[in-house]
Amino acid sequence: MDYLADVGITILIYIILGVSLNLLLGYAGQVSMAHAVFYGIGAYTAGLLTLPVLEAAEGAAARGVTSGLGWNWLPALLIAVAVPLVFAFIIAIPAVVSVTGEYLILLTLAFQVVVNQLMNSLTTVTGGPYGLTPIPPFSLFGHELSSPPQALGFFVVAALLAVFVTWRIGESPFGRLLKGIREDEIAVRALGKNTLIVKVTVFGVAAAIAGMAGALASYYYQFIAPGNYSLDLSIFVVAVVVLGGAGNLIGTILGAIVLGSLTPLLQNIAWIGSSNSIPWQGVIYGVGLVIIMRFRPQGILPEGLSPRWFKHAARSASAELTGAAPGSWSLGVDYPDSAETCASGDEGDEGEDVVRISGLARNFGGLRAVDGVDMALRRGRITALIGPNGAGKTTIFNMVTGELKPDSGQVWFRGTDVVGEKPHKLARFGIVRSFQDVRVFQQLSALENVAMAVPGQPGENLVRLGLQPRRTRRAERETRAKAHAYLDFVGMSEKADELVVNLSFGEQKLVAIARLLATEGDVLLLDEPTSGIDANSVNQVIDLILRLCRFGKTVCIVEHSVHVVDKLADHVYFLDHGAVIEEGTMKDLTSRPHLVEVYFGT
Amino acid sequence: MFSFQLFSQLLVSGIVIGSSYALLSVSFGVIYATTRIFHFAHAIAYTVASYASVTALAKAGLPLWLALMVGLVVAVALGILIELAAYRPMRRRGASTLALFLTSLGLTIAGSNLIQIVFGPENKPLPGFPMKTFAVGAVTFTNLHLLTVIVSWVCIFGVVVFLKKTKYGKATRAAQSNQQMAMAVGIEMDGVSLLVFMLGSVLVGVSALLFTLGGVASPNMGLSPILIGFIGVFLGDRERFRRSARRLRARSGYLVVRSVAEW
Repeated sequence: MDYLADVGITILIYIILGVSLNLLLGYAGQVSMAHAVFYGIGAYTAGLLTLPVLEAAEGAAARGVTSGLGWNWLPALLIAVAVPLVFAFIIAIPAVVSVTGEYLILLTLAFQVVVNQLMNSLTTVTGGPYGLTPIPPFSLFGHELSSPPQALGFFVVAALLAVFVTWRIGESPFGRLLKGIREDEIAVRALGKNTLIVKVTVFGVAAAIAGMAGALASYYYQFIAPGNYSLDLSIFVVAVVVLGGAGNLIGTILGAIVLGSLTPLLQNIAWIGSSNSIPWQGVIYGVGLVIIMRFRPQGILPEGLSPRWFKHAARSASAELTGAAPGSWSLGVDYPDSAETCASGDEGDEGEDVVRISGLARNFGGLRAVDGVDMALRRGRITALIGPNGAGKTTIFNMVTGELKPDSGQVWFRGTDVVGEKPHKLARFGIVRSFQDVRVFQQLSALENVAMAVPGQPGENLVRLGLQPRRTRRAERETRAKAHAYLDFVGMSEKADELVVNLSFGEQKLVAIARLLATEGDVLLLDEPTSGIDANSVNQVIDLILRLCRFGKTVCIVEHSVHVVDKLADHVYFLDHGAVIEEGTMKDLTSRPHLVEVYFGT
Repeated sequence: MFSFQLFSQLLVSGIVIGSSYALLSVSFGVIYATTRIFHFAHAIAYTVASYASVTALAKAGLPLWLALMVGLVVAVALGILIELAAYRPMRRRGASTLALFLTSLGLTIAGSNLIQIVFGPENKPLPGFPMKTFAVGAVTFTNLHLLTVIVSWVCIFGVVVFLKKTKYGKATRAAQSNQQMAMAVGIEMDGVSLLVFMLGSVLVGVSALLFTLGGVASPNMGLSPILIGFIGVFLGDRERFRRSARRLRARSGYLVVRSVAEW
């Protein structure tokens, strides 16, 4: 009985560590090799707080025992959740500034090794290699609960809590952002979302949950030593998540149960013996990792796949959310049904210059990619940038949206210079863009793609998600309804629940446009909106753009198809070698012989 | 209190340690720069080289120099095996960097535990090196230290010359700077990858054997040197050291920092 309860507790600890790491690794795609150390920081915090206070006369140092503060286990648990959170923020801030995955692996790896080493060497605080002991066990109403079956209850409650919290976060709008960051962080930023805060937060949450597990484990084992928090455990937890299925919490639970029962099973096999059971466990899960990555990289239970009963629950939950959806919410604006041209309306009634660019320049090494460009994007008018490849068109987009810093020059948006603002800020101001290579979130449904773009979602804030569950749920219903409406507008409502990766390229472009509209931005920068799609879809996109412009959006396109530019553009800038060579209507430009020669052909 | 004697002694040991770190960094770096694989299992090539030499010496009774050769050959064979059996099929399927890294992690875990099961958890020495101690003024060092410094830098310069001067080296550098372009001009990525895995594994084997001659082999010995190699590579050049000249300069800088840190 004691033995089984002990095995159960081990597995429950793996489950808590696994689901919290899954939030980071599976949902957000951020590799952390330091999960064991956060678990350890929680344990040391709890241990130091709950160890009995030693009299100075007893000579704590002389006996080699570290003195604690003598707290009760419960308040110590709360602090043990908070301290890893702070540590995670400290490590996450430099980590998330750099976006490359390798850098994050290295940084967390270094953090893991250094902190684990400190646990060994800071003997006055941590007790060194001998660790801290005896940490008081769990107690309730003055009764000590130290036997495994008694402690099991606490771990069951904690594991349920951890699974609930991670599930709630994972399936919320915040979780949708996490998945977006995993798929394409630049695209998330371009939708006006501050990905830095999201990434730092998720690091903190994962560390805090691991810290909780660490504190509980210290009460149960009544003993802490650095060896329990080594890199081996970090790798083990990564294996639990990856084998089970990244992005799938049920998979993680399954992974924890399978890998967690390996050691006890191996111990009971006679020829292996208890001394070799741990190395054998390492061999088995190491080989398991290699095999899974080779033949089933999505894990045993891939994201989105879950056992039947769970699927039922999930479906009824989402039915509640989408039940009222299609058609129940109108866009709140009347986009014109169709239009021949955009500015065909009242001649002379020119709109304001929403965006004005002056003297914009940018070098890449010795190459002047953009060389002192002036242009204006006017409301209710479609502006086109044309010119040969490498003329600097996309670079201009990158600078206007803040993805790239210009070397000199200004970008005026409604009269203020916005150069130097962060991409998500500019998107929130209303300058939004689409990408040449679409950059839709492949592993998310069309609906989720569009829903992510909806601004001002309370569920993207974890505090509000926790404190105002009803409000966030109501807001989420509204978000989904809006997303449906936008998909309907581009004619994609039937494919709302399809994963985008399964859609054709043309359909993906339409989803991208719906996503762009959902940001409610006023200035739409469209980078080759019709490249690579069939003639039918091209007409569909042309029609859409005209209707948007008629509605009053400020539209700027980069386009190579003379046909499309001819149909859409009211004003055309011709760029070459980073400079505007000519501007005017398409008619003007096609009548200039030197342009015909170099670009339009005959 | 400044003691010149202490300073010079630490400088010398700093140079010795720094040289072996530089070699580790380069051994990891040639693989990483070309294949973009965070080759964690490099640690196993390191460990296996040592164990192979120890076994060849103790069990097969080979002379020391031959045992060392056996260690190098085994390390290279392992590097080739990992590339051919694990990474290449995954790359063909378009596996992500993360998937490759996790594979590497799995190989490392399985490998070091397997070594522990087969050879036991205790330390294994590689005896027989004719150790001599020299004293120059108040500074003492051994002929193994000297050998470590010389061999490390000879290897590093060898790599640089190879990358700069030979046909295969140029192909490797082309693949490092732009894989697609390199493929377009007819460089075979599979061949280049195999080459850098061989190269990296030889270097890590050399590094492991130099260490084991003065120390011992143990199942987890590969981990910390490889971590140092990783860090060296990432510190070495923020642009992921595309240019070997810059890499070299960075290494020397690292070496100085290292010796100061020792002190």
